[in-house]
Amino acid sequence: MVNIWKWWGVLVVAALAAFPLPFAAQPAGPTAPAVSLTLPNRVDSVRIAVFGDSGRGSKEQYELGQVMYRFSQSFPFDAVLMTGDNIYYEDTPADMKKKFEDPYRSLLDKGVKFYASLGNHDSPNQRFYALFNMNGEEYYRLEKGDLSFYALNSTYMDKRQLDWFNAELAKDDNAWRIAFFHHPPYSSGKRHGSDEDLREVLEPVLLNRGIDVVFTGHDHFYERIKPQKGITYFVAGGGGKIRKGNIDKKSALTAAGFDADLSFMLIEFSGDQMHFQVIARNGNTVDSGMITRRD
Amino acid sequence: MKGVSKIYILFAVMTLAAYIDGQTEPPAQLKDPLFVEFETRAKEYSRERERLERELPPLAKKATPEEVMAHKEALRKAVQQYRGGAKQGDIFLPEISQQLKVVIAAQLDGADRVKLRKAVLEAENKAVQKRVNYPYPESQEILEMPPTLLMILPQLPKQLRYRFVGRDLLLVDRENLLIIDLMKDAVP
Repeated sequence: MVNIWKWWGVLVVAALAAFPLPFAAQPAGPTAPAVSLTLPNRVDSVRIAVFGDSGRGSKEQYELGQVMYRFSQSFPFDAVLMTGDNIYYEDTPADMKKKFEDPYRSLLDKGVKFYASLGNHDSPNQRFYALFNMNGEEYYRLEKGDLSFYALNSTYMDKRQLDWFNAELAKDDNAWRIAFFHHPPYSSGKRHGSDEDLREVLEPVLLNRGIDVVFTGHDHFYERIKPQKGITYFVAGGGGKIRKGNIDKKSALTAAGFDADLSFMLIEFSGDQMHFQVIARNGNTVDSGMITRRD
Repeated sequence: MKGVSKIYILFAVMTLAAYIDGQTEPPAQLKDPLFVEFETRAKEYSRERERLERELPPLAKKATPEEVMAHKEALRKAVQQYRGGAKQGDIFLPEISQQLKVVIAAQLDGADRVKLRKAVLEAENKAVQKRVNYPYPESQEILEMPPTLLMILPQLPKQLRYRFVGRDLLLVDRENLLIIDLMKDAVP
């Protein structure tokens, strides 16, 4: 006698395997975006990521962190530069966990190092926080291969810091010199915009001492500024909360901009070239290109 | 031997030249005796505060959030206790404040400084209770100090910061976040 129930069970299992039901387990959060790289991804290049104004502990920040991790699987960067406003408001241990450690847990567990600069919402005591790798300093120099990265504290650009920056650059013989800090000397933001007072003091040093690229934040969006006297500036302030529509569309400064959602930058240094790709929270590329090092 | 001496002299001269090249000369007004007095008082606070900090367990340069918080609060308590009698004007003496206001007005007044003044006056720090020996709340924005102004104000010890809150100028300890002194109506 045929056991119809046995064969019925086999049929059901086979059907489920071929056609999963809609309520089968799905990954949490938004649909996982595909990873599409425009970067060369060469073996011997230096790879980093950049973002700023992130530290709110928002759902969107967490989602962007997941996207960053996903891209790091294909483009293994080992360092992240933070352009300030790393932790908004209180920075108790619980805040550090919620606004930094948890959103980037996957990257931290992978050994990615975060290098922070201070913004106007950051306590100077963040410089002691181990995971920001500031080594107790408000401004510091970081070296990777033949690249020098200078983290500055633009919230308090006094003579002491400016002299330090000048002196360090004077003895720096690395090929690439990159500065990252919070307030943008150039920005098309309607909320903040270009920090002309900072520019007045800092730009002469940036120009005279051979800075190639500057990453900043403060305005909550992404913007690539047209080269200013040979230096390319980026506003990478879309890491935690976006100000939609905040880029002044009439600005003559903008080479490219994205103010519709959160974003981060992937950067690859290879010889005299810096390749960049800017990725939004949905995984789409919103800007990409290449910069050649200044002579 | 003579050749070696010349090399050493040349090295010393080059080192000195490189050092000077990296420095900027302070404006003449900062040699004003009043500003010298101001710097002396600020340094005195800094010395005492360093002494108190040395009595605490040292904070590692790579610390946990719990360690950072504990150190900040211990230092704050120690300084608050030490400066129990501190009052407004201990460092910003009236005559010093008068001079500083002149310097500030020169930097923040004028049509080309409208944006700068606006940024100073519209910062998100209105909830700061402006009282000497009280903490600057961490929930409040730390307004960027205008760099052009910082270049000409008397330089403070590294533990102290100028900070605008509304039209007032505060001196704030960068680590324990105590308001060390304040000057009312600094911004014209």
